[in-house]
Amino acid sequence: MAYQWDFSPVLANAPLLVEGLVNTLRITGTALVFGVALGLGLALLRLSPRRYLSWPAGFVIEVFRTTPPLVQLFWFFFAMPILVGIEMTPFMAGAVTFSIQSASFFAEVFRAGIQSIERGQWDGARALGMRHDQAMRRIILPQAVKRMIPAFMERAIELMKTTTLIATISYADLLFAANEVSQKTFRPLETYTVVALIYFVVIFLASQVARLVELRLARSGESTVH
Amino acid sequence: MRWDFASVFDNTDALLVGAAGTLRIFAICLVLGLSLGLLVGLGRYSRNRWLHIPATIFVEFFRNTPVLVQILWFYFALPILLPFQISPLAAASLGISLNSAAFSAEIYRGGIQSIETGQWDGARALGMRWGQAMRRIILPQALKRMLPALTNRAIEIFKMSTLASAVAYVELLQQGKLIASLNYNPIEAYTAVAVIFFVFLWPLVQFSYFLERRLRRDE
Repeated sequence: MAYQWDFSPVLANAPLLVEGLVNTLRITGTALVFGVALGLGLALLRLSPRRYLSWPAGFVIEVFRTTPPLVQLFWFFFAMPILVGIEMTPFMAGAVTFSIQSASFFAEVFRAGIQSIERGQWDGARALGMRHDQAMRRIILPQAVKRMIPAFMERAIELMKTTTLIATISYADLLFAANEVSQKTFRPLETYTVVALIYFVVIFLASQVARLVELRLARSGESTVH
Repeated sequence: MRWDFASVFDNTDALLVGAAGTLRIFAICLVLGLSLGLLVGLGRYSRNRWLHIPATIFVEFFRNTPVLVQILWFYFALPILLPFQISPLAAASLGISLNSAAFSAEIYRGGIQSIETGQWDGARALGMRWGQAMRRIILPQALKRMLPALTNRAIEIFKMSTLASAVAYVELLQQGKLIASLNYNPIEAYTAVAVIFFVFLWPLVQFSYFLERRLRRDE
């Protein structure tokens, strides 16, 4: 007795899945913006010659790189609200977790990029009378950012995959929509297959774009850091 | 707010059971993922189209879908096609192992490709067949270069093992949830779980840094 595949109940619930995909992109975008900004801040602190700045930054980076994101998410959703005395929506908990988590990875990308710039660039900037932060902003970062783009895009794709964890605290992302639709239609096989394919298409396209950009950069003679 | 870890220490047994569950699924996925990854990596390296194309599809599919989606697919969707049920351990192990196989396949392929052709020529000159050259000459050298990346994979597998809690497999995070809901102490329970993971993983992470430094120095 072969199983009769039937995708029509899933397609009838397409609006739910579309809404889920939009929410997935929303949490990914939010975490990406905050993650990159925070990651740059962490990297600059980490590279600071002052220990009282570099050590705490290093500690945050190590903790968030070394613990599982799902544990972090549960901590920010179930534990922190009691500690601080505020309500956390699933979206807020996810945004905070994925921002800090991706920031700690972005920080290492920034750091590798900044450290890959030759000493001479620093010397030249100093010879022109620039202070450390001026040299960083005007000379070092613009060059470093170009080398970081491939690693940066790779992390962004990882981040998108990580956002699926938010379904476990009932935020209505694409994976959560899949749970709902499969329970509604009693068609888990079709639902999860369709949702896996949606994720595949979106992430695969993003990966291809990243690959193209990396090829372009490689051709323009730019080394990349990972 | 007063922190009170006594309620967590009272449940040390539950955490030990969870730790055993975490280590079990970690070991399964590490062995399955890295060995299957070697096969797929050789397929990706191969010039034979019948090996190369399926290996490429496998790698692209599993690298470009979230591992939690894979786990839920194996748990909720696959049993419909099979005449038997799939346990939470089996579903989570399948998802994590196949995902890790796809990622490690690219590490193996990159490592093998990084070995100079002269090594192949030398092996052939000594009368070795392809399989012998690969096993005796190429892989041992490539393995050294791949070790940092493979260690990072192992760390990722350990972190991914928490996703098994989404299908109610008994591991550390699942036990943390249980303790938190029984004792109303989410702060202490989840902090304890986070600390335990950190303690397990920190030495592994430091080891990977050490391997990376050593490799950079040697090359």
